[in-house]
Amino acid sequence: MASELMMERETQVAFGPVPHSLAGDELGDTSWQMKDEQFLLRGEGDHYFLYRKGHGITVERGATADLSEEALWLNGSVYAAIASINGLLPIHASAVAHGGEVFAFTGPAGAGKSTLAAGLAQHGLPMFCDDTLILDLSDPDRIVCLPGHKRLKLTANALVLTGAEREEQVSSTVSKSYARPIAGTVDVALPLGELIFLEEASDIEFDRITGGERLARLQDDHYTADLFASARRFDRAAHFAHLSRLARQIRMTAFHRPFDPERFGEGLSAAARHIKDAACAH
Amino acid sequence: MRIEKNRDRFVETAIDDEIVIMRLDTGSFFSLSDTAAAIWRLIDGTRNEDVIVSQLQRDFAGNGATIGRDVQEFVSELTEMGLLASD
Repeated sequence: MASELMMERETQVAFGPVPHSLAGDELGDTSWQMKDEQFLLRGEGDHYFLYRKGHGITVERGATADLSEEALWLNGSVYAAIASINGLLPIHASAVAHGGEVFAFTGPAGAGKSTLAAGLAQHGLPMFCDDTLILDLSDPDRIVCLPGHKRLKLTANALVLTGAEREEQVSSTVSKSYARPIAGTVDVALPLGELIFLEEASDIEFDRITGGERLARLQDDHYTADLFASARRFDRAAHFAHLSRLARQIRMTAFHRPFDPERFGEGLSAAARHIKDAACAH
Repeated sequence: MRIEKNRDRFVETAIDDEIVIMRLDTGSFFSLSDTAAAIWRLIDGTRNEDVIVSQLQRDFAGNGATIGRDVQEFVSELTEMGLLASD
């Protein structure tokens, strides 16, 4: 698929010196600038990541750069910025695949996106992506998801709940571990089947999201939304048109469940049933 | 007086049975459903309030006084927002 090849090409990494500013002011730690299809990010210390459209990424590793964080920056903000500059939409979601479609879970940090997506492997559903889902909007009639580029990261508790195979710790400052979901991962692009919003409640239930609420739900304050808005330089009307298209084309559901490890299995079974029923209905 | 939309002040989209409108001056948006959406659809620059009320009475088989009040309040509120004008 053209978008996957483009991302593979644009995310090639070289090492060397880069400018420390694209717009006058020098960057502070963990901040970024975007200008003329270029993106410059500074990690901790003197660790810089420059992307130029058509030229890939250049990483400058200064004396105080924390190299254990490098892969996280490259797969996080840098990847999302490159996607955005090239017209792809990154959203904050973890997803599984079923019936030739992607079912993505979204919600604030700590809502259990990764744990739920990884846990669904217990019901035979392979993982599609962790934490960031990249959407290709180039076909006006459908929204296509690019396979995940990030390795699954789970806390110790989530490893137990999901049964995922533990690999090495993510970094010296991140207590999560990389993990391998037991039903494997899907590595081909697939259409988006449903976006499922995770919400805390005492009872387990699914509610279809309809009307204007679909558009309201897309008002995202995650960093990926900021990157996309900066890259596309939308005015209000264009931003509204963009959200309207997504709201009309994406099927949305709210998944209410308790954030209680004791009832994780119950929620997991309900989610698996919902996805399998939805896939049959489409 | 005919009522018309100030089309340079907003953008709109239909999602399911609702109409979502965003004010271009503030970026805020709101959703219209049921009677409010029906009133909005009937405002086309040629109808006045009485014609809109008559049409809604036919479509919704409702009480004329209640519908009249709904239309009046709707038009007043959206005129105040700058989204509607009457000539």
